[in-house]
Parts: sequence; C-alpha cells; structure tokens
Amino acid sequence: MSLQYLKEAVSGSDTEKLIRYVRLHFGDGNEAAGKQEIDKAWIEALKLLLDVPATDREFILNILTEKDAATLAHLFFHLHFYFVERSGEWIHDGRV
Amino acid sequence: MDEFDENKSKQLRPGLWATVNERYPGSMITKSDFVPLAKLKKPLPESRLTFVSTAGVQPKNSLPFDTVHPVGDYTFRRVPSKSKPEDLEIHQLKYPTVGAERDLNVIFPIERLQELAEEKIIGSLSPNFFSFIGYNMNPEMLEEKLAKDIAEAVEAEGSDVALLAPA
Repeated sequence: MSLQYLKEAVSGSDTEKLIRYVRLHFGDGNEAAGKQEIDKAWIEALKLLLDVPATDREFILNILTEKDAATLAHLFFHLHFYFVERSGEWIHDGRV
Repeated sequence: MDEFDENKSKQLRPGLWATVNERYPGSMITKSDFVPLAKLKKPLPESRLTFVSTAGVQPKNSLPFDTVHPVGDYTFRRVPSKSKPEDLEIHQLKYPTVGAERDLNVIFPIERLQELAEEKIIGSLSPNFFSFIGYNMNPEMLEEKLAKDIAEAVEAEGSDVALLAPA
C-alpha cells in the first residue's frame, strides 16, 4: 500500500524514496519531468523577487505563526503548482 | 494501416497501465476477497441508472477537487444528471484533459446518457451522477471512506444500475 510504503520510508529515513514520490506526483508519473517541475517552480518564484518588490511580510509571518504545519505543507504543494502554472509551461493537460 | 489502427498508434500514453507500480510505487492494490458483480433485477428500460466517474468533473463554482495533495482527495461531487457540459468543469491533473475540454462526453458521457434515457433505452437517470479524482494513494481511505460515501449516496437516490468509468 502506498501510504505504508511512504511511512516505512520515513521511519527508515529513505529520503530517495520520499523525494522520488514527490517527483512522480509533480511529473504525473514521470520522475524526470517531476524534477524539472520542481526546478521550474523555484525559478519562477526567484524571478518574481529579483527586483526586490514590496511584499506583504506581515501576512507571511502571520500565516507561518498562526497556521498548523500540515496546513502549511498543503499550502506548499499548492504554491508549487501555482508557480508552475504561472511559468506558462503547464504539462498536466496534454497540450505540452 | 486503416484509420482505426492509425488512431490507435496516436494513443497519448501507450502502455501506461503496465507501468503504474513503477510510477506510483506501492500503490497497486491486492485484494484477497472477491465481490461478485450484482445482477440486474429488472430490464434496463425499467431501471434507474447512475454514473460514477473518476474524471474529476464537477459543477462550476463547486469546491475544486484537491489535485495538489500528495496523497489524494477522498471527497466526491454530485453532478446533476440534467447538466449541460457548459455547466461543468474538470479539476484533475493525472490524465490529459485537452480532448475532454473540447467534448466532455469523451470522458464523462453525460449527453449520451441523457439521450439513452430520452430514447427509453435506459428507464431513467438518477438525479445526480457522482465524480471524484482517481489520484488516491491511500487505498484504505479510498475503500473505507470515499467508496462507502459514494455507495450510500447512490443508494439514497434509488439507483438500480451504476455505470462506473475510470478516467
């Protein structure tokens, strides 16, 4: 079972199994594509900050303080897809 | 090569199923118990049919399926069986939706089922169809929560037949 597989990887500190799972999720079952997707999201986020625009740090700090870790983890996954979509190269609908 | 074979060669992800355990390690379900298919209790022209789909189709403005969660989404949406394709949208990442966005019926044949009911080939349609996303990596939750929730909802609408369609 997948969840058991992942929990065993956590307890055994098998980080390669865990990150592979994430890459497969982001790449719709293609690990190499998932690795590129992770890079794409980070590059897109970095590009947005290069000119040091004003950002709402108060909001960020409040969210980090007020919300539980699981909600933030879920948000982290949302942010990945947000930045991938923003990059304009969306692999998930079969067009690319 | 005839037209049929030519179309076959254009399959977007040939051999996909054979690779599922490689793509999603540990996700294959092994079942030791056997649940036989239920037999029809009355002819199809007298039966109420429902449709259950993993296509991630849902009414516009309903809460989008959680397509980003790494372990999946164990909720379902009711899709009124009288809906028109333009009333519906797809929230799903794990299959190429480009064709379904041109004609929803290729993945969620709602208009075909409406036609079959109008022609009385099917007795009637349940008030709602049922939709969820197929990326569910916890088989126990899929079986014990989502499948049970949908089964109860199907039963509550008095369905005699359920058409199940994976995306």
